[in-house]
Amino acid sequence: MTEGSEQLPEATAHRLQELEQGLFTSDLSVNEFLLIKEVGFHPLGFVMGSSIYHTGIQTRKWSQSQELTKLTEAMYNARELAMTRMEEEAAELGADGVVGVRLDVNYYEWGKDAAEFIAVGTAVKAENGVSHLNALGKPFTSDLSGQDFWTLMQTGYVPQGLVMGTCVYHIAHRGLGQTLGSAGKNVELPNFTQALYEARELAMTRMQDEADRLNASGIVGVRLEEKSHQWGSHTIEFLSLGTAVTKTSDAVTLPTPTTVISLDN
Amino acid sequence: MSDSTVDLPEAASRRLDRPAFSSGLSVPDFAACLQMGLEPVGFVQGFCVMQWRWYGMNSPYRQSFGPSAGGLTGYVENYQCPHVGVYGGEHRSWGQNYEQTWVEQAWGQGFANAYARMLAEAADAGAHGVVGVIDTANRLADLGVLEFHVRGTAVKVAGGDPPPDGQPWTTYLAGQRLAKLIESGSMPVSVAAAVSSVRVWAYCVTEYLLNGSTSTWGGRPAVSEVTQVASARMAARQIAREHVRAQLGGDSLHGAQMIVSESEVGEGDQEVQCLLRGNRVRRFKEFDPIPAPRPTVRLR
Repeated sequence: MTEGSEQLPEATAHRLQELEQGLFTSDLSVNEFLLIKEVGFHPLGFVMGSSIYHTGIQTRKWSQSQELTKLTEAMYNARELAMTRMEEEAAELGADGVVGVRLDVNYYEWGKDAAEFIAVGTAVKAENGVSHLNALGKPFTSDLSGQDFWTLMQTGYVPQGLVMGTCVYHIAHRGLGQTLGSAGKNVELPNFTQALYEARELAMTRMQDEADRLNASGIVGVRLEEKSHQWGSHTIEFLSLGTAVTKTSDAVTLPTPTTVISLDN
Repeated sequence: MSDSTVDLPEAASRRLDRPAFSSGLSVPDFAACLQMGLEPVGFVQGFCVMQWRWYGMNSPYRQSFGPSAGGLTGYVENYQCPHVGVYGGEHRSWGQNYEQTWVEQAWGQGFANAYARMLAEAADAGAHGVVGVIDTANRLADLGVLEFHVRGTAVKVAGGDPPPDGQPWTTYLAGQRLAKLIESGSMPVSVAAAVSSVRVWAYCVTEYLLNGSTSTWGGRPAVSEVTQVASARMAARQIAREHVRAQLGGDSLHGAQMIVSESEVGEGDQEVQCLLRGNRVRRFKEFDPIPAPRPTVRLR
């Protein structure tokens, strides 16, 4: 998405204008709000982006495990669009970043094979006016909670962006011959191991590519999600997500933790 | 273990060659690791897909079936019908609990392969250890297969030496819990996990208690122990403990987690499975009591 912010709906402009006048909205909990203030950021507003994408089905070979590249691209582009639109809303507000980003996929009855990809989060700005834009000159994004954001800042790392990689994979059905061949005992099926291993590593490599583009020194909170969406059980999307971070200072300012016993149940 | 254990997919080495680290730890765990002097190197993982079916009476594993069944190794317990003069095809005149060693071995193999591949990734990345290990075994689609997935975050000890045998240490713990373990004088050696599997073939008394089937003996007693099933569960726990103890080599087990599950294979035929996992740890200094804890109350 290169067309820029003139594409944002009219209602957005109005809402953002109100936010610029000082009113802020945020979906942060009170604790999160306080911690974000504590590290010197101020919430500007709740921002979102969405994209409705046709993610039909791609022809697959019954007995072959393979990546479905068209679906991979579709799933990736759709999320990327939603994220970009959210970043544009944030940029419009003059934000340094977006925290607590959530990525969701919704399906509706009216759109067969179509899915709505949505990204929401809270735009924040540094109170001391120092820019925290990332290596690409955009507001940073991260799925970290307020607590995590605070903790991360104490370790000398700052978030650069929510990074992701995906791989839609078709798992072969097993023919009669194969089933009989290994009948009678539980053994490893190396072809399946390799195929699924490869699929996840591809997703993770793509995530790491994104982190490289941000000149990140690492990715924290990496997780792997698996979903079949509406394709049937043999087609699985492997999605890898994490927050790319860069080291800004060596000092770890976290105090030595004290052992505590909670008096709550 | 076969030589396939070092056969990492091409994408894995490409991924681990990158200068940027990746970490599967939560941010608090990440921060605690940095503070302990553990630097995350990469998110590492290993997989193994095993054919996974339940084999009944016709299985080649089971040579014969009955009160005097041969071909079984491990725990076997027979139950004889106490009723005199009752016969017929419907009446289960005998029952049996038996350990399914082949299921335990297959699970062990699947776990060990996935684990070894994770270790290979970690060694590839030059790691000293792997923290925050998570293991799962899930069924995939409708393929009759079970996929073992072992993953964790490979770390280097700042200023430390690589493990002498080149084999990184591993632990399920991460963050504060790992810090407390080390503070208290133990160091992680490896994760330990095993499964035990006991098949319960019900005899008339068990069947009666489980199903409440109408019989000539009148109503079901309100409360009664189902001895055969209770015994199978006890045995499953015991066997899982023995399997894990065999992996410890004299070290101790810390933070053990035991999960017992039951699944019905057929009518009057069930499997009791016990999964035991924990951290194999070794004492490296005298127990050093931690400072007195400070009591806190949360404001909510």
